[in-house]
Order: sequence, then C-alpha cells, then structure tokens
Amino acid sequence: MKSMSVMTTGGSGGSAAGALYDVIELILDRGLVIDVFVRVSLVGIEVLTIDARVVVASIDTYLRFAEKCGRLDLTGGRQPMGLPDLVGAVTGGGAERQVKGALPGPREAIAETLEGLATPDKTSDR
Amino acid sequence: MSTYVYGFAPATHPMPIDGLTGVGAERAPVRLIREDGLVAVVSDAPEGLRAKRRDLEAHERVLESLCAAGTVMPMRFGMVASDDATVQAELTSKAEKYADLLAKLNDHVELNVKGVHDEDALLGDLLQRHAELRERNDALRAVGGGDEQDRIAFGEQVSAAVEERRVQEAKRLVAQLESHATRVRLGPSVEGCFVNASFLVANSDREAFDAAVTALRDAANGYADVRVFGPLPPYSFVEVDGADEADG
Repeated sequence: MKSMSVMTTGGSGGSAAGALYDVIELILDRGLVIDVFVRVSLVGIEVLTIDARVVVASIDTYLRFAEKCGRLDLTGGRQPMGLPDLVGAVTGGGAERQVKGALPGPREAIAETLEGLATPDKTSDR
Repeated sequence: MSTYVYGFAPATHPMPIDGLTGVGAERAPVRLIREDGLVAVVSDAPEGLRAKRRDLEAHERVLESLCAAGTVMPMRFGMVASDDATVQAELTSKAEKYADLLAKLNDHVELNVKGVHDEDALLGDLLQRHAELRERNDALRAVGGGDEQDRIAFGEQVSAAVEERRVQEAKRLVAQLESHATRVRLGPSVEGCFVNASFLVANSDREAFDAAVTALRDAANGYADVRVFGPLPPYSFVEVDGADEADG
C-alpha cells in the first residue's frame, strides 16, 4: 500500500506501520477464522474498539453535553449543517415548526426518511 | 514447530515473497504451502507467540504487500496451525469454497471509511434545529446552569438527539458510497466515530468512490471529517458460510 486512497489530514502515511492503528479493529476482529487453527492470545492487546453507543449514553457524557451546550454561542445565525441532503430532508418535515412537546411529528418524518435510506440492495450485514 | 498463517491465494498469484519476514522476534521468512490450486502464505510460528505491535505490523505488512500483487484472502490476526500438514488439509478440504471466494474478491480492494463529528458543530446544529432542546438550554442558562439533576436530564435529551443523528448520518454516508461498491460491511463500533464501514470496491470503481468521498467531505466541511483507509486486504469480506456475520 503506497498511499491512502483518500486522505484529509496529515499524519499517518498509509504504510502498514502508519495506518495500523486506524484499522486495528479490522485486523483483530475481521479476516478469515479457521476452526482447526488456534488463535494467538490477545492478552495484552489494548482493544480500542468499544461500543460508541455506550459512550454516548453515560452520565458523564450527559453532563459534558449539557455543559457544552450551555457554552455554545448560537447567536451567529450559522447555516444548518449535516451530511448533504439528509438533515435538510428530515427537518423539512417540521422539526422547526413543531409545537413544543409534540415529538411524534418529526420522529415520524425521520423514520420515513431512514426507511428509504436503510434498505441497501447490497450486502450490509450487522 | 507450528505454522503462522497470513492468508490464502490462488496458485496463479505471483507471490513476491523474497525478503518478506513474518511475526515473532526472529522475523522468520515468509514461505508458501501449495495445494489444490491454492497457496497458503505462512511462516514458522515462534513458541509462545503473543500479539505485539511488531507482530500486528508484520501480519499487516505481509498481507498488504501480497495484496498489491494479486488477490489474497486475509486471515484474522493470530491464526496458528499446528503444522504445515494441517494447513494442507484445510486447503484440500475446502478447495472449492476458497476458490469461489477468491474469485469474488478478484480485482477488488477493501476501503475502510470512518466518520467523526466535530462535537461543537454537531451540538450547535442540534440546538438550532430542535426548538425544545434550544429552549431547555436557554432556560438552564438563565438560572446559571441549573442543578445537577437538571443538567443530567438535559444532557440525556441531547445525547438521544446525538445518537439519532449519528445513526441517520451513518446510514446516509453508507447510502451515498455503496453505489460505487460491490459490497458493504459495517465495522465494529469505534469510539468517537459515527460511522465505521468497509466497502469492497472494484479497482475500476475506485476513482468514482474517491470522488464520492471527496464530495461528502466537502459538503460536511467543519461539521464532520470523513476519512478513508486503504486499499486494505479484504478483511471484512472473507467470511465463509455466513459464519461471523452476526458480530460487530
């Protein structure tokens, strides 16, 4: 591997050594496993992959989010952001117009949008 | 002496293994075991081999250099056979299955895509879009932050919005890239990433894939970073008989 297919930031150069920790979860958790072979003990390997959902759902994270939100400067009137097409389509369903406390409207809009997005024809296991 | 196995390839693979060394402090030379139209890439496994950075790098280096020369099915790190005969028996007993899988991987590479939100930008955007969150944030500000219970409750609500956004943008990102890929497989969750997905991409589609990533990245400027790692050995696309499909 001579170079990254695409790179945004400097740093890792795409060599085996440079990119190793960017894809270590694939080297450790993917790849062919053969039952009649044994596997080297991974004791001592610091497993870097954890469930991101667990990180989001913790008291520490709640407090951090609350604190950060409290400090954010929202007066700049920034344009809404998000990956292209997605969030615009979802909020077009009424997140800004919703009556206070009336969550079902936008939730449904999101669900519908997701349904359209979440049906890949190709293999997408998980 | 047991045998460390890196991967399998078709017998037609050019196998430029001169000078390639493998796992272990001794850096044993990489060698080949040929059987039934297939070739296994192996080296002698030292006693008591454990996963060290050096060994992970050796595993990756061997596979990357051989994948650059042709199709190879990579093993997960750390597969050790009791001897060469065990490897030969494996190739013989599943020769057809492995040949089929190798044919599917022919002329393809794995590209791994990870996306990371800029947290301030994400939170700011959520507050702008969700009137309820914004009002609650304003209310807490007005009372100097509120007590801990209030902050936790508000943070939990923000957290739910963050998670919802992560899930939907992961799906969106995959949807925008998968038309340039032959297969997609989500990777294990990685801290800080809202998406970790691997794409099996034909060499002829790589330019279009890269262009699609660049377009996504440009559009997400300042809000999220989208990075591609690869070409990689196709670690995510070698499951046999659907085994291993449910993890991650």
